[in-house]
Amino acid sequence: MVRVERVHKRYRNGPPVLAGVDLALTPGAPAVLAGGNGSGKSTLLRIVAGCALPTVGRVTGRPPVVGYLPDRFPAQLRLPADAYLRHLARIRGTPPDPGLLERFGFTGPRREPMARLSKGNAQKVGLAQALGAGVGLVVLDEPWAGLDVAAADTLADLLDEVAAEATVLVTDHTGRAARLPGARHLRLRDGRVEDAPAPAAAEPTVAIVLRCPEPEQVRHRLGVPGLVDGGRLHLRAAPTESDPLLFAALRLGCSVESVGPA
Amino acid sequence: MLGRVGGAGVTAVAVARYLLADAVRSQRVVLPVVLQVAVLAVLFGGDPGRLPAPWGASVLTLYPVAAWLALTIAHTEDPVQRDVTVAAAGGVGPVAAGTLLVALAGDLGLAVLSVLWPVVVTPYPASPSIILTGLLAHLAAGATGTAVGLLCARPWIRRVGRSLLVGAVVVIATAVQPWLPPVGSTVQALADGAGPGAVVLPAALALLLAVLVTWASSVRARRD
Repeated sequence: MVRVERVHKRYRNGPPVLAGVDLALTPGAPAVLAGGNGSGKSTLLRIVAGCALPTVGRVTGRPPVVGYLPDRFPAQLRLPADAYLRHLARIRGTPPDPGLLERFGFTGPRREPMARLSKGNAQKVGLAQALGAGVGLVVLDEPWAGLDVAAADTLADLLDEVAAEATVLVTDHTGRAARLPGARHLRLRDGRVEDAPAPAAAEPTVAIVLRCPEPEQVRHRLGVPGLVDGGRLHLRAAPTESDPLLFAALRLGCSVESVGPA
Repeated sequence: MLGRVGGAGVTAVAVARYLLADAVRSQRVVLPVVLQVAVLAVLFGGDPGRLPAPWGASVLTLYPVAAWLALTIAHTEDPVQRDVTVAAAGGVGPVAAGTLLVALAGDLGLAVLSVLWPVVVTPYPASPSIILTGLLAHLAAGATGTAVGLLCARPWIRRVGRSLLVGAVVVIATAVQPWLPPVGSTVQALADGAGPGAVVLPAALALLLAVLVTWASSVRARRD
């Protein structure tokens, strides 16, 4: 069990970022840490992963093999992705897991410098190094950022698999972590961590763009919130309400410019 | 399997291989190496005179070159990328040690090149004792340069430009003091035509300095 005991962190000349965090993390299900911007989530994750020491307090029971994904995986190296993953596996003392990149649907060049990768592909390399074989503690800072839908689903599946044996701690702003089965939800507020209720998964919505002769009036007649921009009316609706809304808008003389996922 | 193969030494070597692989691909390490080779070409192109005295110039060159190399290798990774490596290595220690290993390997390579060059291309006699003197003298300068370079890099100084500036000032200020070990006294010993006994201590001291700086850097880096 990874135990975070009375951890305080203060950077030079700054206010305290963490003010007495107590946390016990166990394998079995991923732990999801929420908190506002600048609340200290990334600082806590760096301390749990072993990249930084707390000013006061300690972390005990950290397993020998740790996988860490920072908030934005930089990938500015001249090494190609394949070579980077081989080196990182050797540094961890675990066998490389070349199939992971394929599972994430990595489409970038494997033998060219990582600095040339797109943001999404770089993120997949970062995830592949963090989730490789033999890992005992996985710490992922905003792992869904920049991932396409298929890779985001793969990550959810992988976290479920990995969490069976390893301790998993993630942060997330995309809402994906809310749908992780059995996840434990935590919130960081005022430098302390508390258990939090699972956030409600966001309903999928449809974004509609209409071109109307009098958009302000149409918006009023339709009775829905929306944004007027030039001659266009931007609306959002639940999938079940989108058809009646479009029908009504067409009858009011609008033409549909686009309909798509929000 | 939640295991880890090998201890801290194995991890440090793995980190060294990783940093070396990336450094070799970047052009940043080429310049200091070219500088050393250029000085050797000029120095030993004409008639440099009897060994070991001419090595004074190549030793004095290797000092800033080694500092430049160490600084470059310490800055190979972006600080965030460094976090990923530290987490994978299980701590800052093996990463700092791996950085030191790569820098010292570079010093050794350039030292061997600097010693063998005049032995091959000049007609002057080079006994094993003279060769050993030259090698130890170059290692003293190389390891001192590595210590200075690591002390002017992250986590002590975060910006590469400022690192280079501070490193240059330290190297220039210390290289021209003939009494100051390890580099100044080594150059003086070569000028006096001394044997290996005169440069063993400076070489050992330089190596100790580099190890101490590495240890201090790993302690400092964990605070960030």
